[in-house]
Amino acid sequence: MTSLMGNHSGTIGYSFSEPTSANVKQHSFYPYTDNGGSTLGITGADFAILAGDTRSTSGYNINSRMVPKVFKIGGDDETGEGANIILSVVGFAADGNALKEKLDTMVRMYKYQHGKSMSVGACAQRLSTILYEKRFFPYYVHAILAGLDEEGVGALYSYDPVGSYEREQCRAAGAASSLIMPFLDNQVNSKNQYIPGSGEGHALVPKKAEPLDKETATKLVKDAFTSAVERHIEVGDGLQLVIVTREGIEEVFHALKQD
Amino acid sequence: MDKLVAQYSRPPHQNEMYSEQEQQDLTASVPPLSLKFSLPPVDNRSAFLRAMTDDHSNPSCPIKLAHGTTTLAFRFQGGIIVCTDSRATAGNWIASQTVKKVIPVSRLSRGEDKKTNEPTPGLLGTMAGGAADCQYWLRYLSQQCTLHEIRHKRRITVAAASKILANLTYAYKGYGLSMGTMLAGMTPQEGPALYYIDSDGTRLPGNLFCVGSGQTFAYGVLDAEYKYELTEEEALNLGRRAILAAMHRDAYSGGFINLYHVKEEGWVHHGFDDMNPIFWDTKLQKGEFSNVTSAL
Amino acid sequence: MEVLLGIAGKDFVILAASKAAMRGPTVLKAEDDKTRQLNKHTVMAFSGESGDTVQFAEYIQANAALYSMRNDTELSPSAVANFVRGELARSLRSRSPYTVNLLLGGIDPVTEKPHLYWVDYLASLAPLPYAAHGYAQYYCLSILDKHHHPDCSLEEGLALLTLCTDELKRRLPIDYKGMLVKVVTKDGVREIPVDNDKVVRSA
Repeated sequence: MTSLMGNHSGTIGYSFSEPTSANVKQHSFYPYTDNGGSTLGITGADFAILAGDTRSTSGYNINSRMVPKVFKIGGDDETGEGANIILSVVGFAADGNALKEKLDTMVRMYKYQHGKSMSVGACAQRLSTILYEKRFFPYYVHAILAGLDEEGVGALYSYDPVGSYEREQCRAAGAASSLIMPFLDNQVNSKNQYIPGSGEGHALVPKKAEPLDKETATKLVKDAFTSAVERHIEVGDGLQLVIVTREGIEEVFHALKQD
Repeated sequence: MDKLVAQYSRPPHQNEMYSEQEQQDLTASVPPLSLKFSLPPVDNRSAFLRAMTDDHSNPSCPIKLAHGTTTLAFRFQGGIIVCTDSRATAGNWIASQTVKKVIPVSRLSRGEDKKTNEPTPGLLGTMAGGAADCQYWLRYLSQQCTLHEIRHKRRITVAAASKILANLTYAYKGYGLSMGTMLAGMTPQEGPALYYIDSDGTRLPGNLFCVGSGQTFAYGVLDAEYKYELTEEEALNLGRRAILAAMHRDAYSGGFINLYHVKEEGWVHHGFDDMNPIFWDTKLQKGEFSNVTSAL
Repeated sequence: MEVLLGIAGKDFVILAASKAAMRGPTVLKAEDDKTRQLNKHTVMAFSGESGDTVQFAEYIQANAALYSMRNDTELSPSAVANFVRGELARSLRSRSPYTVNLLLGGIDPVTEKPHLYWVDYLASLAPLPYAAHGYAQYYCLSILDKHHHPDCSLEEGLALLTLCTDELKRRLPIDYKGMLVKVVTKDGVREIPVDNDKVVRSA
């Protein structure tokens, strides 16, 4: 951290430079950039899905077409084998990576120290405090954490950049979140859907949201992303799908439009 | 000369390793009790934070934090009513419609929203302003309350708990925290007690508070019919109706009505209900909201 | 921190305006009249930039009178409202626009139905059952949402007004020196005496 401060000259008098009496002008400090992309998560009775596109942008440039945004947390090795929690981060990729590394280390240390895997609920609270530790110099990320809870039910937690969090059924984050989230509200939580013929006007009975099965949820994720790609320039190239079930973590990639 | 330079300059890669402290922090799987926050390497930290996160003074700020609220709490003959909306906004974007803005404090008797309607002992805190600030510091407060319970073998008073929080927010004054919170609880020493605490360091005991962007609308409805002698049912309905009014008039409030009642034995949850059917019921059954047309 | 309130009921319209004339930290006058009668069945209450308010109101008042003299008939409240809106819109596009917010209340002499119009300095016009300008909006609209009924009697309307002014006395940080209340019925415009010295206790 100190290396960024650039004020050594005051404390360490270099013999070859005259001490400057003029006011040191500080360049505006902007340590963030937005790498675009979008992520989304859906849970059901016995699974949790996190997905993200694999494009990485800066401004109108595409840096890479293959930068995954979903990570396994608390695995036994670099491949993430043995993990049962997954994390997606979108926003500033460097902050996202730092956050993932930190959480991963902590979940693994927990396993070594306690001889058991961390529960998603505990991991969710820990991630919140990690984010809040940087309350005054935030991580520029929207994180989503997913896994199976103690009952084996899909659990998903979404975060704001400084660590406020909430357990939800589904959540979209990142560049295309405003395109995807309304679709999810309608399809996953049955918002603004009514039972046909149940009444007129205000008497219409709203449709109850029911837990989705894995296949339907996967289809929704793909639809959400193919549609987002059509309308958002920062989304595209590839779709990374990571699914947690009792059997373990399954990861698949699909192609999205390359333009 | 070279010796001097070598003595005082450091190789550029020196900071790439984790320091001993950083390694220790990483190996600890529990967050530290001593509060350590990393700060940006600039002279004016609050200006930096404002430029990055305050969408009010800087609408194009990169990091949008969750904001906006209506919360209320009032004392009456039968205890304390606590009621909130459930909307979180980041700029114009509705980040969530399902936020739980009433947070049980005091962990030994926490019990996440239980199915039974048995009262749960402990305090309630409300959340207005920065969502993360409120969540984090109310959790910190429940940690302190729990420690108090273990050390003294009795529950903390609302006065003491609110003082912990107020001292905390005052210590961080000027750092850019944003929270307006109410603490409600009933203890044998105090009876029903209600405190308002905010990020300026204000701490006020009182009978009735509304906090958040929709506060004035809630005050309007509440003040017009509030009296200490309200029955339990009247009080619950008035709390619910005041939040409904704020949801209708304040764009930053909405979603679900979250209602709690604090009694002698503890708090009772009275539902987390969608505002939309309640609004139309209120309009069509009682004829209120005459400025809204119900024509289809 | 000027207060304007308007309530339309079954066969009447109430307009109320705060009596304090303020400039900076000073109350210049505590019995100010921020209303003007435009014709037999229409009154207007105004707030905004000092100077602009009275100038604009009296300009409208004079033109409404001129119309009555020329045509030997009175403009209906809706006609006055739309005329006012037009004048404000024209002024808005001039070099020095009027910064005036208005409430316009009246009884249509033909149908004998009450009309209340809300007009702001940007020349927005909205017909409403109840209306407010300034900070009063934040405190009173939720009260009116709850307690107003379109077919309420004058007594109920005045009780509703008291509910609103009590809340303002309770929560506004400054003293607005009480309200001047005007009522329009089919018989014309009259001032209603109200008790402005009532002390309101906070909860």
